[in-house]
Amino acid sequence: MSTTADQIERTDKLQGMGCSRKRKEDPRFIQGKGNYVDDIKMPGMLHLDAVRSPYAHARIKSINKERALALPGVHAVLTAEDLKPLNLHWMPTLAGDMQAVLADEKVHFQMQEVAVVVAEDRYIAADAVDMVEVEYEELPVLVDAHKAMDSDAPVLREDLAGKDEGAHGKRLHHNHIFTWDVGDKDDTDRVFDTAEVTVNEQMTYQRVHPSPLETCGCVASFDKIKGTLTVYITSQAPHVVRTVVSMLSGIAESKIRVISPDIGGGFGNKVGIYPGYVASIVASIVLGRPVKWVEDRIENLSTTAFARDYHMTGELAADPDGKIKALRVNVIADHGAFDACADPTKFPAGLFSIVTGSYDIPTAYARVDGVYTNKAPGGVAYRCSFRVTEAVYLVERMIDVLAQKLDLDKAEIRFRNFIQKSQFPYQSALGWEYDSGDYDTALKKVLEAVDYEGLRREQAEKRARGELMGIGICTFTEIVGAGPTRNCDILGIGMFDSAEIRVHPTGSAMARMGTITQGQGHQTTYAQIIASELGLPSEDIQIEEGDTDTAPYGLGTYGSRSTPVGGAATANAARKIRAKAQKIAAHLLEVSEDDLEWDVDQFRVKGSPDQAKTMKEIAFAAYNNLPEGVEPGLEAVDYYDPPNFTYPFGAYLCVLDIDKGTGETSVRRFYALDDCGTRINPMIIEGQIHGGLTEGFAVAMGQQLVFDEGGNILGNTLMDYFVPTAVETPVWETDYTVTPSPHHPIGAKGVAESPHVGSIPCFTNAMVDAFSHLGVTHMNMPHSAYNVWKQIRASGIDKS
Amino acid sequence: MQVKIDRVIPIDGPASSAWQVLSSITEVAGCMPGAEITEQLDKSNYKGQVKVKAGPATAQFKGDLEIKRLDAASRELHLVGKGADTKGSSNAVMDLTANIRETDGGGCELVGAAEVTVNGKIASLGGRLMTSVSDQVLKQFGDNFATKVLALGEGAEAEAAATKLEEQPKEVNGLAFLWAMVVDFFKRLFGGKTGTTP
Repeated sequence: MSTTADQIERTDKLQGMGCSRKRKEDPRFIQGKGNYVDDIKMPGMLHLDAVRSPYAHARIKSINKERALALPGVHAVLTAEDLKPLNLHWMPTLAGDMQAVLADEKVHFQMQEVAVVVAEDRYIAADAVDMVEVEYEELPVLVDAHKAMDSDAPVLREDLAGKDEGAHGKRLHHNHIFTWDVGDKDDTDRVFDTAEVTVNEQMTYQRVHPSPLETCGCVASFDKIKGTLTVYITSQAPHVVRTVVSMLSGIAESKIRVISPDIGGGFGNKVGIYPGYVASIVASIVLGRPVKWVEDRIENLSTTAFARDYHMTGELAADPDGKIKALRVNVIADHGAFDACADPTKFPAGLFSIVTGSYDIPTAYARVDGVYTNKAPGGVAYRCSFRVTEAVYLVERMIDVLAQKLDLDKAEIRFRNFIQKSQFPYQSALGWEYDSGDYDTALKKVLEAVDYEGLRREQAEKRARGELMGIGICTFTEIVGAGPTRNCDILGIGMFDSAEIRVHPTGSAMARMGTITQGQGHQTTYAQIIASELGLPSEDIQIEEGDTDTAPYGLGTYGSRSTPVGGAATANAARKIRAKAQKIAAHLLEVSEDDLEWDVDQFRVKGSPDQAKTMKEIAFAAYNNLPEGVEPGLEAVDYYDPPNFTYPFGAYLCVLDIDKGTGETSVRRFYALDDCGTRINPMIIEGQIHGGLTEGFAVAMGQQLVFDEGGNILGNTLMDYFVPTAVETPVWETDYTVTPSPHHPIGAKGVAESPHVGSIPCFTNAMVDAFSHLGVTHMNMPHSAYNVWKQIRASGIDKS
Repeated sequence: MQVKIDRVIPIDGPASSAWQVLSSITEVAGCMPGAEITEQLDKSNYKGQVKVKAGPATAQFKGDLEIKRLDAASRELHLVGKGADTKGSSNAVMDLTANIRETDGGGCELVGAAEVTVNGKIASLGGRLMTSVSDQVLKQFGDNFATKVLALGEGAEAEAAATKLEEQPKEVNGLAFLWAMVVDFFKRLFGGKTGTTP
């Protein structure tokens, strides 16, 4: 049936899926009317600040709080000793380890919380922090993850003495956390033993920090009379926080209300539970007053969750034509002093097993060993699905290394190894079932758009003149949308997500989800899904998230899971409503349900299009004129347990020029083609891709948390930590193909993290490509001017 | 974070006078800008403090000094100082060896080698300035030391030196420091002769 002009007009009015509807969030943000945690002010509110360790590893000999307590306006100074009777001096982490809330006898990393001060205002709190006297005895410091398992390495976690079983199996050393492996090791070894071509490369994925614009914080308010606790918090998973707080405090979950108000970016940094939150809650319970804690930038960069710190060795076995036979990966993962990774419980290395990437690799084996060091805990997914960035970086680097070894073009080697469109659903060697993809088409489109052959010709000419120009390609596949509850849970709670929609009598609707937006634009895009499914204008659909008293239980927003899981729940809840609406329409039109067909915003009688009831009319009838046996109202809840992850993919290409004198790099062109399946709002997708590419650029070109040999964190301010502004950021070109997910209700995948995951190896590949004719096969990030200049000197071309 | 500093300071005076200054810990501390000995615990242990002022902010380091060796025959001093700032956010350890060496023509020189280790905020925020700051501290130390030796002598020069000692500031002025560092940086950049590094 062809679409009529009338249908197009009615569809346009809905502003549903596929429409570049303007973001509903922006008017308040651009007018400075957002409501963030630090905007929350409550009567009688006190302020909490932390005393932090100057040492990375030391025994606490004494803590003297007297001077601080004597300062007028100071209400309390709490140490581990004070939390001990409540059994809150340690807390469980999401990864099955324990973490000190306040340092208990020992400090394990620099800037660790040793005590907290609660005072009348922020200034008094800061003054009092300086007055708490702590006496330390220094201990040997472990910074280098490669030395963590040395026989003479210092013992970091004395609390784990004698425990050779961890949350993820056997511990091999006092600083060992877990070994996680996947794939067939023997088969893989056999392929390598007989392979005609093998390559291997060691690469360090440096320790970085998501550094959201808004740092972490909370306001905890315990009502002694009602026995209820309200917590405003910067959390990407408010329901999980409620459950954890209930478990820790013993307060019934029904008496705890967690609210994530507007959040200024999360990028994984706001998934975890931090000592500041716990201390604020305890302080509020003890003092009976609201307590606010908001960390400053130095605290954010130094203590709340970092990302990566993966030390990887990759190997490929191939035939002389470049067809890959096997992949082998070994990783030392630096988790810091406590294993506080935020991964699905059964995945200590996240979804790293996506490491075979977009390629049809028949045999593979990957092993990750997590170790403790004297650094802050974390290891979160910085704008990516759990450890996917690390995995994609490895395989995208290795395929380039193989191409160089075989003197093959870096695009050509990808075409020779791609999983073919006809192979989907594709079973990977490491156990995943890729839902859909069309990698050939994507890469061809990019190569044509940039005139790849022309670029390679130009590069050859420039090399002949002694100039440095690099072309990087990355053809990545992500795994997002955690996840199927059969294998994904956090603290035993399956990683489903939820939506509840209520259609009001006049045809507007209110919807609440278990996810929480932090800049993704949920208030805009979820309404578009409902608009298309229900035929109600998105303008009349209110989206609310983040308040556990009103929203259905959900696992939150991270790992690109909102659209794959929450978006699916939203579509399904809308479909439940539409099914009921169909019953009501049939009753109103006095026909059988089967005689009706859905038409944009109405049910009409098949063959008699003039006989129709709009959703708006049906909504009113739902409250006064219902068929026999149908209860009043028009609402539905859906808890969606995804049957599989979704697998967005993309093809990126980067062209850069390097100044041989200074090492300065200029990104001349960056072309990003993404395929996220069905596109809900193209404008928001483009915005998310721009943001992700910019953060990818930041990681590749400059971000790094550096430590000296004493465990001092160097560069924990924005003077050093690279956050690109419009000045440094390249111009992005975006493109797309559409390969819907076959198992998702609307065929959508997830997109906001793809550009981060895909761009980082693309930058490194371009950088190494610029030096590849000189025999360089890998350069570790960040590709700062200084590091590039050092490579120029090492390659001996600084004088030429 | 650790910095190693080696320095030779020429002194316009006899080695015996220089040793007289070096062998008195209060005199040596007095050469250190902003530093003073507050208490002598026993023959070789002292308590002391250093004040640094940078604009409106003042940092105060308090700590212990231990004389490991004081050898008149070789005119050598070895001391270890440990201190923490009074806010508990930074700390430092200095291991210093200094000796007086006679030079041709009746003069002498102070040969110093120090290893300074810092932890905490000062390492995080000031790490990259450590070498330059140490240079400045040592430069002032050297000037003061030479002046003290000079003041032990006789004549107009000695009197001028004594007056200069009277007038010197009692704490490190961070901003003046910063300025001296900037000046040195440019001198080095344009090949000036008076730069602090050879």
